[in-house]
Amino acid sequence: MKTEPNIADPDGFYEAWVAAHDGLSEAESADLDARLVLLLANQVGEMKVLLDCIAAARAARG
Amino acid sequence: MGADEVWKFAPAYELPSWPFVAPPDLGARERRRYPVVIAGAGLAGLTLACDLALRGIAVVVLDEDDTVGVRGASSRGICYAQKSLELFDRLGIYERIREKGITWSVGRTFSGADEIYSFNLKDESFSEQPPFINLQQFYLEWFLVERIRELDPAAIRWKSKVVRVEHGGDGAVVEVETPAGAYALEAEWFVDATGANSRIRDELGLEAHPSRHTDRWCISDVRFKTPFAVERWTWIDAPFNEGRAVWQHLMADAVWRLDYQMDERADPESISRPEVAGARLREQLGPDVEFEFVWIGPYQYRDHLLDSFRVGRTIFVGDAAHVVCPFGARGGNNGIQDSGNLGWKLALVLQGHAGEALVDSYHHERHAAAVENLRVTSRTARFLAPRSAAEHRLRRAVVALARTHEFARRLANTGRMAQANAYPPSPWAPDGARSLQNVALDGTTVMRLLGDGTRFLGLWLGASREQAAALNDELALRWPLAVHAVAAAGALARHLGAAPGSFVLVRPDAYVAAQLASAAPDAIEAALRRALSLGATA
Repeated sequence: MKTEPNIADPDGFYEAWVAAHDGLSEAESADLDARLVLLLANQVGEMKVLLDCIAAARAARG
Repeated sequence: MGADEVWKFAPAYELPSWPFVAPPDLGARERRRYPVVIAGAGLAGLTLACDLALRGIAVVVLDEDDTVGVRGASSRGICYAQKSLELFDRLGIYERIREKGITWSVGRTFSGADEIYSFNLKDESFSEQPPFINLQQFYLEWFLVERIRELDPAAIRWKSKVVRVEHGGDGAVVEVETPAGAYALEAEWFVDATGANSRIRDELGLEAHPSRHTDRWCISDVRFKTPFAVERWTWIDAPFNEGRAVWQHLMADAVWRLDYQMDERADPESISRPEVAGARLREQLGPDVEFEFVWIGPYQYRDHLLDSFRVGRTIFVGDAAHVVCPFGARGGNNGIQDSGNLGWKLALVLQGHAGEALVDSYHHERHAAAVENLRVTSRTARFLAPRSAAEHRLRRAVVALARTHEFARRLANTGRMAQANAYPPSPWAPDGARSLQNVALDGTTVMRLLGDGTRFLGLWLGASREQAAALNDELALRWPLAVHAVAAAGALARHLGAAPGSFVLVRPDAYVAAQLASAAPDAIEAALRRALSLGATA
């Protein structure tokens, strides 16, 4: 799992991510994020990296 | 058709029954001893009996009933997988299964009205047998019984209830109750094939780790005249079943199995009433399709897995050893495969060609297969019955993307169809063992070659007939082995990815014991010694 910066335009990505949630209810937003996770997971593909990402996301909770 | 519709039922199946015949053990002064005694004439028990009889082993099957099927004609298993069909080809009942059953290879998964995933299992097949044939379980048991009755060293004893088993170091003493009185017999090897509720297992105090699922389903087996595709159709969330899952599959005699996921709080008695089941069908079929019920039955599923499939001279096969959720046809087929794995091992041990430790490989291989099947079916169960709002959300994401994105279709899990499980590395097969399909070989097939005695096959790719005959002369006197020359670049080579000149050692259950780079006799003998649990100096 990469933890060093890999997104060339962090602010641009964040802006687009936020914009994707514009006008959505909380439930619709959560649905969108779930779909986004699936699409991104397929870009990664490698099981070890996916499992590391799941663990890191859960560890960073709260 | 309205609320006053009258629901028709097909006449009940007339199943065969076989008479109780007083065995020679009744009233005999001395207890008789048999090489193998099997308790339970279900799929696993009958398959093992048929397999052993063809190998010349005198086998006795004890069954407390006198017919086939469970609770009359209610069908349990319906899908028989390629590896099972290949075994039945060797046992001599495949043609009957093919004629009576429904051959299929395509499956489709729907969400609402949209197809979101499909597969065609034929694309991956090298076998003479199709990926699947659907058939009511009682027909298969019926064919097995009739086949066993043709074979000399096997006897099925009906109305013969096992009431007590004494498990000893050199076999078991089995007490049997019959309409003509009680008797006891001895078994060198005793096989428990009495199913999920095995008392034999429970009385031994063995831990089976049972768990019960809350998901509830209701089967309607129905006959109607509608041009449905002969395919496996599943809905994750059917509009005609209040957004819950539905299965649709054709069996013999134009009977469709329609299996509906119910609200888990539903009352099983009320959801299986004809008027309630009929209303569900009307919702699915529309007002004009005529149909008649064959059977209606609610169920919940459960699973268990025994820690050890062998305890001394007692061996557990089929549901007595393992039960999984009924997704992907991994129940009955694995009982059948247990027996396919065990039969040749018992035969070779009894005939003195293998060490007794070979029987431990049955546990090693089939327990591993059961663990895998439990994992696969549990994943399907979880996909079909999300336990929280968050899980529903994740599944919604899969379904939404599957409509337009190829990759997400592979996550829609309405059952992963049974395949011949690969076995993990072991003392008997250091590289593990994978299944060899029933490939056609220059005028014969793998299964036909394996039907001749209880022998390994040595398939030598690209050898001449003379070379193969010479190697056979060298080895076949000392080993249960028959060497054959096969094409260097035929279906077998493609199926196994085997190079010209290589030598494939195939076990009697059509698993690859070793794939050798060349036909060096030393290496072949070493592989045989390992595969047969014989010491290095044997």
